[in-house]
Amino acid sequence: MVKRSWLNLLLVFLPLLAGIVEFILITIWAQSLPPFMVTADFGIFALVFGMTIRNLGIVALLTGLFITGVLLILYNRAVRRQEQMQMRLEEARREAEQARRSFLRRLDHEIKNPLTGLRAALVNMQEVRSETDRQRAVENASHAVERLTRLLTDLRKLSDLGERPIELWQVDVPDLLQDVVDAAKMLPEYKGREVSLLIPKVPSPFPTITGDRDLLVLAIYNLTENALKFTCETDSVEIRLGEDGRAILIEVADSGVGIPAEDISKIFEELYRGSNARSTEGSGLGLALVHRIISLHGGTITVRSSQEEPRGTVFTVRLPVSKKGFALRPSR
Amino acid sequence: MSSQRSTILLADDDPTIADSLAPFLERAGFHVLVVSDGVSALEKAQAHQPELIILDVLMPRMDGRETLRRLRKAKIWTPTILLTQVGEASERALALEEGADDYLNKPFDPHELLARIRAVLRRVRPGERSLSAAWLLSAHDLSLDRRARRATLGGQTVELTPKALAVLEYLMTHPDEAVTRERLLEAVWGWAYPAGTRTVDTRMAELRRALNDDPAEPRFIETIPGEGYRFIAPVRGEG
Repeated sequence: MVKRSWLNLLLVFLPLLAGIVEFILITIWAQSLPPFMVTADFGIFALVFGMTIRNLGIVALLTGLFITGVLLILYNRAVRRQEQMQMRLEEARREAEQARRSFLRRLDHEIKNPLTGLRAALVNMQEVRSETDRQRAVENASHAVERLTRLLTDLRKLSDLGERPIELWQVDVPDLLQDVVDAAKMLPEYKGREVSLLIPKVPSPFPTITGDRDLLVLAIYNLTENALKFTCETDSVEIRLGEDGRAILIEVADSGVGIPAEDISKIFEELYRGSNARSTEGSGLGLALVHRIISLHGGTITVRSSQEEPRGTVFTVRLPVSKKGFALRPSR
Repeated sequence: MSSQRSTILLADDDPTIADSLAPFLERAGFHVLVVSDGVSALEKAQAHQPELIILDVLMPRMDGRETLRRLRKAKIWTPTILLTQVGEASERALALEEGADDYLNKPFDPHELLARIRAVLRRVRPGERSLSAAWLLSAHDLSLDRRARRATLGGQTVELTPKALAVLEYLMTHPDEAVTRERLLEAVWGWAYPAGTRTVDTRMAELRRALNDDPAEPRFIETIPGEGYRFIAPVRGEG
């Protein structure tokens, strides 16, 4: 750690100071010597340097100047590097603080709505007379509680994912995707719809990936659920599988309304809701969870979307294929 | 006829929870004692000898875990349900280490708590140390060392994924009890998963394969159609 300080600067200039002192001392000393000794060469010393006692002082001065110059350059470079690093750290800290604030603001919003609904439902329960109205108030209260529970559960999932080690076992991807489609069939949004699952026949058997099957099901399921939420009956939803030898590619594609360009870079943020997602129910943590799960598996997720024809959204998940001879053991 | 009702000691420092749960449990036929911290829970448990204790984990003066540890140290084997966050493996291990008979994640449906209470009261014999507090469980030639996280069948180590081992552990500590897939998901996985019931079935198939257990003629795990699973072999606990 090199800091800009007077002491450091003094140390840098020390060789120059020493050179000046040496020059003065040699000059004074040379004056007290007989003239022939001042100008005469001295054997081997003179052969090497070709100098006299008088210009020995100049050499000391120049050496001091040179060393100080070099030190000054190194010192400045180190200090600049240090300052840049501190600036970057400061910037990261500011960004983290900003993210924390925006997370809290979003959380406040996500809690406020169901809580307001709950309070209204409680008032209705106390005040309404007819049994039908009371029943409706109870249903509304239950719905608000369910929303809060879902939010809390997803928050817990996110925090758990950062703390516990994931299991690492060989995962059969076509089988996993079939499970996702089967689970999606239970969604109310699936009614009257179909999710096409496109699995290539070659290579066979399909390469496996190493990871936590339950978490991967959750990730692809979240993407599929999103695709179903933001499309209507006439739209298509596809889950496509591919591979390029090193990675397995899973694409969840839909022909829905698409994501506005200004939202694309933020959709994986916790509790972020895009402008066309505000009216759709959800915890706002689904994509953040997907991103976390895929990252934990050493994979990546990207999205491309268009709101103009041909419109639609495609999420692409890349997961590294299992290495040959990989020991099938959990990551404990 | 309050003397015939089972007494439950409920320890939770949040009055909104205690005030709502106590009348709910009273309506369900229990006599409920409410305390708001671990020290009072310990005192009441010794003075009133309830049939069951419900302990919240985070409480002032003494947390739920410490309370349970001290109860067990004093050889008080009153069945206990811990209201804990068992999503994390370490939390679950801790809950078991302290000898909790069951655990429940907050927020929970009060009916789920009632079901847990009834199941625990059915399973545990008063005054006897429960299987949840035992480190070594055995049934027929199967034994499970909970501390070493290792199962053996006829002396041979059984290769199991951590999840399948946790499922086996839950079933062995709840023998002869119909355990639903949803309960297993909550207790072992900690979260609700999509394709959850299939997830449980996949692990159960793995477990059965490893234990050479024929679902048609099970020695260990029986399928209860439309409900879940039951560990049918008699289980002994040691250590």
